[in-house]
Amino acid sequence: MSRVKITEYRAKKLILGDAYAGRSLSGISDVGFTKPNMVVKVDQGIKKRFKQGLVAVNVSSKEAGQKVREWEKRGFSHFLVEPYVSHEESEEQYLFLERVRTGIRVLHASSGGIDIEAHPELVKTYLINPALSYMVVPGIPEKFLKHLVEVFEKNFFSFLEINPLVVRGDEVYILDAAVLVDSAGIFFVKNGWNEEDVVEGKVRHIAEEKVQALQKTTPASLKLTILHPDGGLFFLLSGGGGSIVIADEAELNGVGRSIGNYGEYSGGPTREETHLYAREVIQLLLNSPAKKKALVIAGGIANFTDVKSTFKGIVDALSECASTLRGKGVKVFVRRGGPNEIEGLLFMEEYLKKEKLFGSVYGSGAVITSAVDDAIAFIKK
Amino acid sequence: MKKRIDKISNGVNILELTRSGRARVLVIGNHSGIIQSMLDFDFLSGKEIPSVLGIVAGNRKAEKYFFGTKEILLPCYKNIQIASEALGSKVDWMLNLQSGRRTFESTVSFFDFFPKSLGAHIFAENVPESHATELISRFGKKYFIVGPSGVGLLIPGALKLGAIGGVDAVQIKSGALTNAGNIAVGSTSGGMTNELIHAVARAGKRLSFAIAIGGDRFPVVSLTQIFALAEADSQTEGFVYFGELGGVDEYEIIELIKAKKFTKPLVAYIAGIIDEAFDEHVQFGHAKALVQTMDESARAKREALREAGVIAPDTFPQFLDALQKLPGGAYTAEEMDIEPLQGRQKSILSTRKVSDIDEGRIFVKGKKLSKGKENAFVDATLVALLGKPVQSPITRAFTEAVFEMLIDHGGNVSGAVNTMITARAGKDLVSSLASGLLTVGPRFGGAINEAARLWISGVVSQKTGLEFVAEKAKAGELILGIGHKKYRVGLPDPRVKALAEFATLLKVHPHYDFARSVEKATTSKNGKLILNIDGAIAALLLDILSECEGMSQRELQELADAEFFNAFFVIPRSVGFIAHFMEQKKNDEGLFRLPDELLFVRAETPKKTKKK
Repeated sequence: MSRVKITEYRAKKLILGDAYAGRSLSGISDVGFTKPNMVVKVDQGIKKRFKQGLVAVNVSSKEAGQKVREWEKRGFSHFLVEPYVSHEESEEQYLFLERVRTGIRVLHASSGGIDIEAHPELVKTYLINPALSYMVVPGIPEKFLKHLVEVFEKNFFSFLEINPLVVRGDEVYILDAAVLVDSAGIFFVKNGWNEEDVVEGKVRHIAEEKVQALQKTTPASLKLTILHPDGGLFFLLSGGGGSIVIADEAELNGVGRSIGNYGEYSGGPTREETHLYAREVIQLLLNSPAKKKALVIAGGIANFTDVKSTFKGIVDALSECASTLRGKGVKVFVRRGGPNEIEGLLFMEEYLKKEKLFGSVYGSGAVITSAVDDAIAFIKK
Repeated sequence: MKKRIDKISNGVNILELTRSGRARVLVIGNHSGIIQSMLDFDFLSGKEIPSVLGIVAGNRKAEKYFFGTKEILLPCYKNIQIASEALGSKVDWMLNLQSGRRTFESTVSFFDFFPKSLGAHIFAENVPESHATELISRFGKKYFIVGPSGVGLLIPGALKLGAIGGVDAVQIKSGALTNAGNIAVGSTSGGMTNELIHAVARAGKRLSFAIAIGGDRFPVVSLTQIFALAEADSQTEGFVYFGELGGVDEYEIIELIKAKKFTKPLVAYIAGIIDEAFDEHVQFGHAKALVQTMDESARAKREALREAGVIAPDTFPQFLDALQKLPGGAYTAEEMDIEPLQGRQKSILSTRKVSDIDEGRIFVKGKKLSKGKENAFVDATLVALLGKPVQSPITRAFTEAVFEMLIDHGGNVSGAVNTMITARAGKDLVSSLASGLLTVGPRFGGAINEAARLWISGVVSQKTGLEFVAEKAKAGELILGIGHKKYRVGLPDPRVKALAEFATLLKVHPHYDFARSVEKATTSKNGKLILNIDGAIAALLLDILSECEGMSQRELQELADAEFFNAFFVIPRSVGFIAHFMEQKKNDEGLFRLPDELLFVRAETPKKTKKK
């Protein structure tokens, strides 16, 4: 399960329902409002929008339209426009809900507003049991809080931050809201949010995008993040924990700057899935201008991921460009354990020797960091 | 009020209970690699019976697995309720391999039906957070639930609950999973759990237990509970822990150590220094008030652990060195022959032993016939068909009566005709018999089984005969077991009349009563619609098997599904067909041809002639 951000528009719509007058804009600059006082924002899950000039407050609808066109030129695509709520800074409250082991933790400050981070002493903490109807946070209308918890539960929210929140008697105004939902809840949410409301993390590279697309089609786990495209050390790692240990070893040995990528495959991907994943990493390696380059195929001792079939997928990818790799003097370093370990390692060793790409090959009898240590020594030489 | 069984909060030692034999598992969902690895673990641990009692999955009745080199069939159950009816309170643990969407419901159902069990492992990775917290509040204090996510729980020699430690026999050996020692392993990462298990083995030490806590935000069994378990466990003398950046669980361990609630030597590795190589910190916007007091970075957690006296090295090789210094003897690798477990070939056909061909038999003794068993053939037939000896002389006598009665019903019936025609075409005995038997079906001979199905459904539904008949009439369905060409009300079928006397030997006969109530409804419309011989055999046999052989409704249904009741026709009638065959051979009348006058050839419909 992971926590993903949904748009502010969807968050407010879920909380306020029909009472919410805001509109979501995408690909159109007609704000559709004729009122004189509007708020318009970029709605793509970006933090610290105010400081980046991605929010315009108390503007006319014409000005709002201009803002949207301006932001579109800067590459943004999703916006939110809503009526402006005139208020004093002293009215601004802070409200935060997060799912914890024992219920919902509520943080509240009756003053402080958007500067709350500078004043942690103003924040009071409460724990709410969503199964009970009795819940009180002084300063927040009970009816609203109850409704908020209901929405939180029904829509599999994990995290909700309203800052600022303005309360006038029984009326509440949500000026800014950020919501993270539990992605595993998607099958259970009815008439709430869906995939289209999820704000995608910023993809910086086409390879990351391809792996993200591949991930959506398999129950296995495939992850890729590019660190230094000009590095010499490229990782084809397996296992959530093991991959961190191996990457840590490079960082601890002072070659962090040489790490081209971080990523991992686990959860029993098929030969074909591993092939497609490995191809992206190998392409990154080939594109790097570094003089000495090494590929580290390493991981812990798998519980159920088949070493032989995943290695066959990696060899499928290596075979697509073996001569180019050999020409550039690339060496491959391997450490892996798990089901069909011996057959998998023998197969890999034979292939690497045949193609003159062999660096070293270790099995579960060797320390998990053996291959990466050899690779570090190789690129340092 | 029911007494609450707060196993976890009352400090019941789950490990001790499991080591002493409470290690019987019900698997929900299917993952053959994991299940086979549990059976291999059991076998290599020297257990005489497998820990897996059954699987709740699919619509099969059983799945084939190996226990050692021997093939076994693990029973499959459609749902947890049916599993609990079959297994009673024998189950100690659940292994839930279903997807995250279905996990919550099946877990709740399991503990409803198996309240006396000890705990579970939930394998799925995509269980919603609120489902996990709900499981914690419902079951966290009563049961030991490892997951959601992770690879499970291992207690060497006693229980392998999940993929933990690997799924092939090579790893069971290299990880020394079957021999107990004194080192506990805990890890947030499933893969690293196995790495640590192997590291402990390579260091010449053995495990007291190992748990993959799982990378989810809300594991049911918390890290604190695992450390409390290790502290309470008399076998555990040291702890090896793997953690990662993110979360604040490690600060809970520090609290335990400070409060002297965990006092055993601890070696820890916290991974995630690599995070410092990223330009931006990948993190969620936690409230500052929290983050200010506790830092979730790997470096900060590592240093905090060190301050509390934990050995928490910087690099993994240093961590492995530190692990060597934990208490515990220097074990040598176990003598374990895993060769036979590799390359096993599953059979493609399986059955049971139908009759004992090696049993010593005596027919003639001292030049005299020895006193044989009464009804010996019928007895042996029932044993072969039912798989167990019959209990009651009523069952034997009834079968004897039916067999005798159904040998033949004259040469006019379709099966006999087919047999005779085939014989006269010059074919052999087996072909002629087969051709006769092939006519057995819904219209000829096969009605006993269909009638049995109807009577079972009628008794289960508790409908009256009238309602039942109305329903069938509305659906346009025939009621097999009812109706006769010749006999009618006032002119009863003498065979039915004779068999019906068996009912007087029974205390209750619900199927027979139901059949009669159906007959009452049908005969009120048409006097020919009486309970016929097929219907009577089916009804009485159901009642006899139920009362005299103690069969449950489910067992009767299984027999009907396997067409058992038709065997009561096919067995004796084969004798009749063979007799008709022999008669043909004896008289040898040559090839049979239907005389022209007995074959009506329908006039062809005139074709429309095309106009020229």
